Amino acid sequence: MDPNFQNPVELLPIDPEIGGQPTAPTGLAPPSTGRPRRRFGRLIPNLVLMISAIFFLAPLLTLARFSLQNVPTILLGWDTLFKKWSLNGLTKAFDDPAFWPALRLSLQLAVGTVALTLGLLLPTAIWTHLRVPKARSLIEFMTVLPYMIPAIALVAGIKIIQPHARWFLNSDLSLIPFYVILALPFTYRSLDAGLKAIDLRVLVDASRSLGAGWGSTVLRVIIPNLRTAIISASFLTAAVVIGEFTIADTLLKETLPRFQATFTSREPQGGYGLNLLALLVTIGLFITLSVLTKKRDPKRKSFARMAADAASMPGNPGS
Amino acid sequence: MTNLTYVSVRKTFGPTVALEGLDLDVKPGELISLLGPSGCGKTTALRIAAGFEFADSGAVLVSNADITRTPAHKRNMGMVFQSYSLFPNLTVANNVGFGLRTRKMASTERHHRVAEMLELVQLTHLADRYPHQISGGQAQRVALARALAVQPQVLLLDEPLSALDAKVRATLRDEIRRIQTELGITTLFVTHDQEEALAISDRIGVMSNGRLEQLGTPRDVYRHPASAFVARFVGSMNELPATVTGTRAVDVGGHSVVVDRITQHDGASVRLLVRPEDMRVVADGGLPGTVTTCTFQGSATVLGVRLDRLDVLTSVHVAGVADFNPGARVEVSIDGERAVCESLS
Repeated sequence: MDPNFQNPVELLPIDPEIGGQPTAPTGLAPPSTGRPRRRFGRLIPNLVLMISAIFFLAPLLTLARFSLQNVPTILLGWDTLFKKWSLNGLTKAFDDPAFWPALRLSLQLAVGTVALTLGLLLPTAIWTHLRVPKARSLIEFMTVLPYMIPAIALVAGIKIIQPHARWFLNSDLSLIPFYVILALPFTYRSLDAGLKAIDLRVLVDASRSLGAGWGSTVLRVIIPNLRTAIISASFLTAAVVIGEFTIADTLLKETLPRFQATFTSREPQGGYGLNLLALLVTIGLFITLSVLTKKRDPKRKSFARMAADAASMPGNPGS
Repeated sequence: MTNLTYVSVRKTFGPTVALEGLDLDVKPGELISLLGPSGCGKTTALRIAAGFEFADSGAVLVSNADITRTPAHKRNMGMVFQSYSLFPNLTVANNVGFGLRTRKMASTERHHRVAEMLELVQLTHLADRYPHQISGGQAQRVALARALAVQPQVLLLDEPLSALDAKVRATLRDEIRRIQTELGITTLFVTHDQEEALAISDRIGVMSNGRLEQLGTPRDVYRHPASAFVARFVGSMNELPATVTGTRAVDVGGHSVVVDRITQHDGASVRLLVRPEDMRVVADGGLPGTVTTCTFQGSATVLGVRLDRLDVLTSVHVAGVADFNPGARVEVSIDGERAVCESLS
């Protein structure tokens, strides 16, 4: 420390009224409270994170123990934490002859629902943003109706039309339009947010002024810039479809959730194991996709290389 | 070489008239600026040329071919927008090559053309960058290269400099003019910035309320404004109360001022619009007044002078460095040759 250093606070006159140093010396910074405050500042978010992690992970861990440990539930405790783990319950589910057709149907329904949802909503959302922006709030309201009207109300409607539309409802894929309605709140909002994030009108005008028609503009300009929104919408839709039970059960369609329900009533351990696996696969897919959507194509050729290739081509005016 | 012609174009949006009988001919290789305040119809005129809006009546011709109802993607116009319009998912090179791809140009030829355009705007080194990795000025230069790459018949510029800072704006303005002159491309430039319009244009069209108020060279529009609106909008104006005293003279505070054009009758009360540079501080024989402010602006000094008899605060340009203290008494003479007389309604 500099031997000539004088603490400026000590140089301040003593306040005769108080009998000590002034409490707020003019022109000097307030005494530092840095470290304890910073530590306290970090503590709260960490605490919230820990509580949230326990809130989400604890049920998953207990589910995992119930479904994958061959220990009677009454004996599940700390002393049996690492004992008798097994995939027997899951294997029974996979070996069930109804499992694979149910999974296949659910995946088909998910793909069909995603395709129909995007096919209907993407042009609608683009058109609304470009031509009738005032109608956006009305459409948004309509798309959240499935939140307010329970699925069972939709089922009641289906029951009414069932005698007149057997030709349609007999098909397993007849669930798709109903699932599109159920997924509306998630998909439309996701696409709408994506469209709000880009300067849609200018991009469309720029594309059209460069000679691109509507199809080309949608495929080459809008969709690539809505990639994240489309992927989110697709996965939310798929998640809704793969988890939907009420309508499938009413229409007696052998989807995965229906298989899970019947299988769980027969084999509770295997059934819950299957639920856990479905959850983990969904989480894994979401994480993979969020990573993939951020990645650029590493094989993309640099422009300098392409231009050099072009210049070296025989007959090229620049070569 | 192409010319762009508007023939009595009218356009309304509900009850609002955006364009009222616009007649304009942009000659081959010419750069015309449409200048006017917000909502005067200049962008609508440009969007009608681009094909993003269709005229209610009238016609738009390119080299005498009627394109009034031709969709935007079939017009072969190049357009640069006010906001950065680069496609975020494409690199600079792919943005420039976008229009060439839609025209199905062969890959080698396309790369050659893109390289040529990037060289024209001096951005070859940024070819592999994405739009978010370049500055606003660079983005607008890429947008210009992209618009020019397709060899458009007409170049349309919709306030391309308004989002940029002053220094970049001046540089890019000169660059646009250089490229436009070099390529000899017919260009319609929309701006609300009079300085920009005066600097870049062959001719300026001043618009107000959907009408073309005046079309002329920058010098004409500035020196001989056709209306009080043009006079006020292009450059700054002093507004002095006056009385018409003959076919070419008005009385301003007891001083007779000769004015080129007077349409009002003898004895009419008018407002005389005079540019600050047409008012001079004189030793004797002018309108007396008091200096209120003195601002040095480099090449000139601007005085704020309150004229005694008129009780009007005026702005007077004095060439070079002048030193007047606020409160100083001065006399001001008026050169009315280029002034505009406006009737008092």
